[in-house]
Amino acid sequence: MELPLLESDLMVLVAQARTQLVPDRAPGEGEQYRFHFDMAKCIGCKCCVVACSEQNGNPAAIQWRRVGEVEGGYFPNTRRHYLSMGCNHCVDPSCLRGCPVEAYTKLPSTGVVVHSADACIGCQYCVWNCSYGVPQYNEERGVVGKCDLCHNRLSDGMAPACANACPEEAIGIEIVNVAEWRASFASLETPGMPSEDDSISTTRITLPAQMPPDLGRVDTMRVELEHPHWPLVVMLVLTQMSIGAFIVLWLADMSGEVAWFTLAVAVLSLGASVLHLGRPVHAYRALRNLRRSWLSREVLGLGMFAGVASGYALALGFDWSHRQWVGALTAVCGIAGAYCSARLYIVPARPMWNSKFTFFEFASTACLLGPLSLAAMTGEPKDFLLRLTMAGAGLQLLTASLRLVWLMRAETPELKASGTLLTGRLLRHFVWRLLLLIAGGIVLPAVSLEAAFVMCVVGEVLGRWLFFVSVVPRNMAAGFSSVPGGEA
Amino acid sequence: MNWKRWIGLDNLPEQYAFDRSASTGYTSAAKIPDHWVATTCGYCSVGCGIEVGVKDGKAVASRPDAAHPVNRARLCPKGLAEHYILEAENRLKYPLLRKKGKLERVSWEEALRTMVERVGAVQERYGKQAFGVLSTGQLVTEEFYTLGKLVQLGFGTNNYDGNTTLCMSSAVAGYRTSFGSDGPPASYQDLTDADVVVLIGANIADNHPILCQYLHQRPGQTVVAVDPRVTKTAMISDLHLALKPRSDVALLNGVARILIAEGWYDPAYVRKHTEGFDALAAHLAQFTPEMVAQTTGLSVDQLYRLALLIGKGERVLLAWTMGVNHSTEGTRTVNAICNLSLLTGKIGKAGCGPFSITGQCNAMGTRESGFTASMPGYRKFDSEKDRADLAGLWNVDASRLPAQRGLAYPDIIEAAVGGKIKALWIIATNPLVSFPNQGVLRQALGELDFLIVQDGFHPTPTTELADLVLPAAIWGEKEGTYTNSERRVSKVNAAVPPPGEARSDFDIFVALAEQLGCREELYPGWTSTRDAFEEWRRVSAGRLCDYSGIDYEMLGRERAVHWPYPEGADAGGQHLYGNGVFSFPDGKARLVCAAHVPFPEQPNREYPLVLNTGRTVEHWHTRTKTREVPILERLSPQAWLEMNPRDARGLGLRSHDRVSVISRRGVVKGVELRLTEIVAPGQVFMPFHFAETNVNEVTQSAFDPYSREPNYKQCAVRVERTGVNS
Repeated sequence: MELPLLESDLMVLVAQARTQLVPDRAPGEGEQYRFHFDMAKCIGCKCCVVACSEQNGNPAAIQWRRVGEVEGGYFPNTRRHYLSMGCNHCVDPSCLRGCPVEAYTKLPSTGVVVHSADACIGCQYCVWNCSYGVPQYNEERGVVGKCDLCHNRLSDGMAPACANACPEEAIGIEIVNVAEWRASFASLETPGMPSEDDSISTTRITLPAQMPPDLGRVDTMRVELEHPHWPLVVMLVLTQMSIGAFIVLWLADMSGEVAWFTLAVAVLSLGASVLHLGRPVHAYRALRNLRRSWLSREVLGLGMFAGVASGYALALGFDWSHRQWVGALTAVCGIAGAYCSARLYIVPARPMWNSKFTFFEFASTACLLGPLSLAAMTGEPKDFLLRLTMAGAGLQLLTASLRLVWLMRAETPELKASGTLLTGRLLRHFVWRLLLLIAGGIVLPAVSLEAAFVMCVVGEVLGRWLFFVSVVPRNMAAGFSSVPGGEA
Repeated sequence: MNWKRWIGLDNLPEQYAFDRSASTGYTSAAKIPDHWVATTCGYCSVGCGIEVGVKDGKAVASRPDAAHPVNRARLCPKGLAEHYILEAENRLKYPLLRKKGKLERVSWEEALRTMVERVGAVQERYGKQAFGVLSTGQLVTEEFYTLGKLVQLGFGTNNYDGNTTLCMSSAVAGYRTSFGSDGPPASYQDLTDADVVVLIGANIADNHPILCQYLHQRPGQTVVAVDPRVTKTAMISDLHLALKPRSDVALLNGVARILIAEGWYDPAYVRKHTEGFDALAAHLAQFTPEMVAQTTGLSVDQLYRLALLIGKGERVLLAWTMGVNHSTEGTRTVNAICNLSLLTGKIGKAGCGPFSITGQCNAMGTRESGFTASMPGYRKFDSEKDRADLAGLWNVDASRLPAQRGLAYPDIIEAAVGGKIKALWIIATNPLVSFPNQGVLRQALGELDFLIVQDGFHPTPTTELADLVLPAAIWGEKEGTYTNSERRVSKVNAAVPPPGEARSDFDIFVALAEQLGCREELYPGWTSTRDAFEEWRRVSAGRLCDYSGIDYEMLGRERAVHWPYPEGADAGGQHLYGNGVFSFPDGKARLVCAAHVPFPEQPNREYPLVLNTGRTVEHWHTRTKTREVPILERLSPQAWLEMNPRDARGLGLRSHDRVSVISRRGVVKGVELRLTEIVAPGQVFMPFHFAETNVNEVTQSAFDPYSREPNYKQCAVRVERTGVNS
């Protein structure tokens, strides 16, 4: 297209674009751009949403700017307000911190958090990390995308599309002193926004002068299931089984034939897990951000486990005399990999995952399926294998039950909502998960190892599916209406 | 999905590329057009200037026309995505004729010939009047003018009305009975200039959002919302009067009584410019503050506050929309509003007046130039002088002009049930969603010999029933003018050609005249809408709605100008009646006595709730267009029913439950329930856009006696659960 802009054209555009909505200077040292949203002015017309989608050429299902509703009061003294939000361009963005491929950059001169669709591999870890639901996965492209504050318009002196389209001038851009904001942000609570977390949102929201005390979200009665991420369900259960099995192999110094099978399961499930990515061919890039990303570390840990475990399988096959050292290293790599696996779910934006139960759940799977798989493969119901299996089953049972109690007694709305899902819409799944665990892990092993093994695997897969679909993420308030077909 | 995308080598960089252009700045490259076409938005009658971006012959972008005086470089969400309707999948591309029960593609020649033959056969057998026509507020003024001549002179029937009767006819009838003529006296600037703006049954924040920017622009302005529901508009107002449904006449009369009793009116103005004061004063005696408080559910204090604002405010604008019109007492309610402006003399000057905010983009155009409730140029059917005048302009014998109006919309439907209307032509409207009490409508259409539907889209619930479907060009594909709520005439231009064999409504009308053999008589030498506009200028000259000083070139330059704009004037008129001379022969306005009449179907034990209906900002009318815009569908995917939590408790209902809404006439199933304090206990609210859950299955066949407008706003229903939210 025509480049560069003619000065006269630019003047016309700038005049049209209501320059008072943007600062007349660039941020200086220690400053950054941010959104200002005036809740008192917003009439909920959603022009900003449409303008954003048009600006960025996004399909309808993806809205980098969204409008939520909060409501309170008593007829006729009812208030409904709207919350329009793009990206909060956080001081310490959790999307950026977790991204394994360093697709995110916080631009040093403006503080705008930008995302590179070329660098992105579509792992969606940023989606899990953001407390505001800002990064959204674009199925069509296989990558995530998000609001970039229209910084390329800003640098031309034009307002972002959302601000420009707002008929009430409720959205504007301003400059914030980061240090001052860091010191003062925590005191700000906005109805419909999750409480500030360690990422420190920079958006300033002007609240209406008079708000009913119960002004709150209208979407709380509607909880959608989250995406199940099947490749991850399979990968987590099978790698944990394999790690458990190798640790038992090492501890019991068992013979080598079953090791190959166990190893094959681990390698295949790791391979299958790239199907979770929007861009599987670029999976190798996930190793890039070992400094900060637990996802990068998981890939490294599980990769090393697979490598060392192959060595251990060989050592077992050749009956190498120093094999226990290789076994020990396998166990260490396995435990490290499994720890990273669990650790990456410890994110404030997903409260149900963000607890010790996640570690216990993953460890229990290893303790249950590791020994049981060995017993089933060898066909020998060795006592210690069965005892370990039962211990794993017991631990998993305890984890699942205690977590449910914790969820149901929680004050946090997202935790409570997860509890409601597990005792409501997902109750049958949850009960089956427990029954399979009891039957396969405690009752059946003495009767039929094969049946017990199959039941336990199915049970753990179901458990991990529940882990993914029943988490209720923190997010900004949404509108009331449910979307037919749902997001999940 | 291609394999490169599947493995992740391809992340669609071209589809998602960005670029800069002089006309757009930095934006999605796919949305950077080759050129922009300035036109006027085709949704509501705010009448925003809009530019459509065209790239490779396709409409790819919409943006506000910064040079347009109405919308000040802003658009609502529908306007911002308006180009999508031009590429919609269900656009109607070819004429379809029902053969052996199925709609099949036919040629235009066969379609038009069949239509003229079938309509001719019906008229021969049952009389000329057995052919009815239902038009719309969606065409350009030139097309309304052309259609009026075709129907009344070509087909020779006066059973012709528009869907504007479902919308603004009470405003028309009210203006005519108060001022002697249709024509809104105020303009948008008055929303800013007024010290007091009273919005009566007008949820502009949802329905005319671009008007909100005119409010609260001056310090000290007081905005009052009168609405039984706590609408978005009520929430941005300074004072909300949550009156009981259909107690508006009592409130307005109560205010009038206080104005007179306290001396807060303008006796000089009343004496000089009005008739009927004594009768009105006597009529108002019953509307004591106590009676009004009891009827409206408001306090005496609130009533006096409103009276004080209206009486003592320097400049007072009384604006209304469907809350007033959608009523069996709509006309009289409009009269009661006009009374207040007349009593206080606050009319015809800045910030003052009664002001109807219209619905459709060109409802005004059909009111002025069409041939339905009046003859073109607000000429009256029953005036011999008007008939002679028009016949002279048209060079036809005055006896060919009907001496009275034909049947109004609901009466055409009723006549079809009774077998008096045997062929019906429906143009650019979708009654199978919008008409109240759908059961009666389906019966009416079922009894027709021949149903013709002319539309831009297929299938719609209405085209599906047609015997003949004519494919029409829509907004963005044709040229002409729209006139908005404030009498501003604005140019409409084609950005892209119509799809397939679709033709502009103008072309279809002219072709039908050709088929009827009256083309040269009705449209001498006409080839385009410009010819129709030039004749309309002459026909409107000297009338209240005087277009004679307006031409296409002026509209190209100025984008939009107010009528009256007589030839030789410097500018259009921002107000009507500034000189105090009204359109009655004696020049005086009428003070009309409006009775308080409760709405016809009161709730009872079996149907305990009052159902109110309305709209949401994302959708337009029957959703024929907006359902084709993915982002709007996403933002508002389905209907809902608002109910107060206190009512829900008794019924054991929870938010997101699926419910049935049941009236004496029908049932709407599977509506998502929304519990909210937005609605009063005892009332429920549902939007009317959704064919899938059509609220008009339960609304009532009750019509205003003067305007024939339906009573959409109140009927008695009960609500039952059909599905549980889990």
